[in-house]
Amino acid sequence: MTFRLEICPIDVELIAETVETETTTASPLRWASPEFGAIYEEHSKPIFYLTLRMLRDPSAAEDATHDVFLKAFHKMNTFRNESNIRTWLYRIAINHCHNIAKSWHNRHIQSSDDAQLLDRGATEANPLRVLETKELGQRIQNTLDALPEEYRLLLLLLADEKLSYEEIAALTGQTSDAVRGKLHRARKTFQIHFKKTE
Amino acid sequence: MNNDSSKLRHTQKQASASEQQQQQQQKAEAKEFSSVEELLRHDAAEIVVPPGVAVKLNQSIANSPKPKVWWQRFFSRE
Repeated sequence: MTFRLEICPIDVELIAETVETETTTASPLRWASPEFGAIYEEHSKPIFYLTLRMLRDPSAAEDATHDVFLKAFHKMNTFRNESNIRTWLYRIAINHCHNIAKSWHNRHIQSSDDAQLLDRGATEANPLRVLETKELGQRIQNTLDALPEEYRLLLLLLADEKLSYEEIAALTGQTSDAVRGKLHRARKTFQIHFKKTE
Repeated sequence: MNNDSSKLRHTQKQASASEQQQQQQQKAEAKEFSSVEELLRHDAAEIVVPPGVAVKLNQSIANSPKPKVWWQRFFSRE
C-alpha cells in the first residue's frame, strides 16, 4: 500500500521562509553547559516530535521537551554509559508524557475541540504551528489519535531510524518478537485510519 | 488558409506544452510513501523545534543550583 499526498507549494515556501528568517537572524546560543548543549542539539528533534504527537499540543510539547532535558541534565550522573543516551532520553520523555496524560489538567485539554487547537496555532507566526495547520500533519495526528496508545508509541519510536527493534523493545518493556508482531498490526491499523482521513 | 492552419498548430502545441507543464508540476508536488515509517519519518523531518525551548532550557540550567561537593552534603546533614 502506498500513501500519496499532495503538498501545497505555497505552504512549504511559507515554512521555509519563516525558518530561514529565524536561522539567519538568530545568533548561536551560548550554552551554560556546552557538553549538554551538544546533547540537546543532537537529540532535541526526535524528543520534541515524540512529545508533540503524544500530547497533541505544540505548547505542551515545548514544555515537555524543556522538562525532559532539564531532568536529564540533573540526572546526568545517574546515566550509565552502557546504554544509548537517546534511549535514556526517550525513557524520560515517555514517562513524562504518561504522567501528563494522567493528570486532570491534560484530560481537560484533550477534551477540547481540534478546531480550537488549529485556530490558535494558525494565528501565531511559529514555523511549527504553521506546519501544524497543514493537511499532512493534521492527518497524521488524527490517525495516531485513533490508535491504541501502545500502537501509537511503537510507531512513533519506529519513526526514529536510530532506534533498533531491541531498543524499542527495551523502552516499551517487551521482547523484540512481541514488538515486531505488534508493529505489524499497528502499521495495518494506521493505514486503515489514515485512509479515512482523506 | 495556410496561415490559419499554422496558427491552429501553434495553439495546439502551446496547449499541450502547458498541459505537460501542469502534469510535471503536479508530479513534483505529490509525494508517495511506501510505508508507515517512511510517512512518519517525513513528518518528523518537517518538524522544527522552536528555538525558544533551547533558550528557556539554557536559562534553567544556568539558574540550577550547582551540585554540592561532598563536605557540603556532609555538613548539611547535621
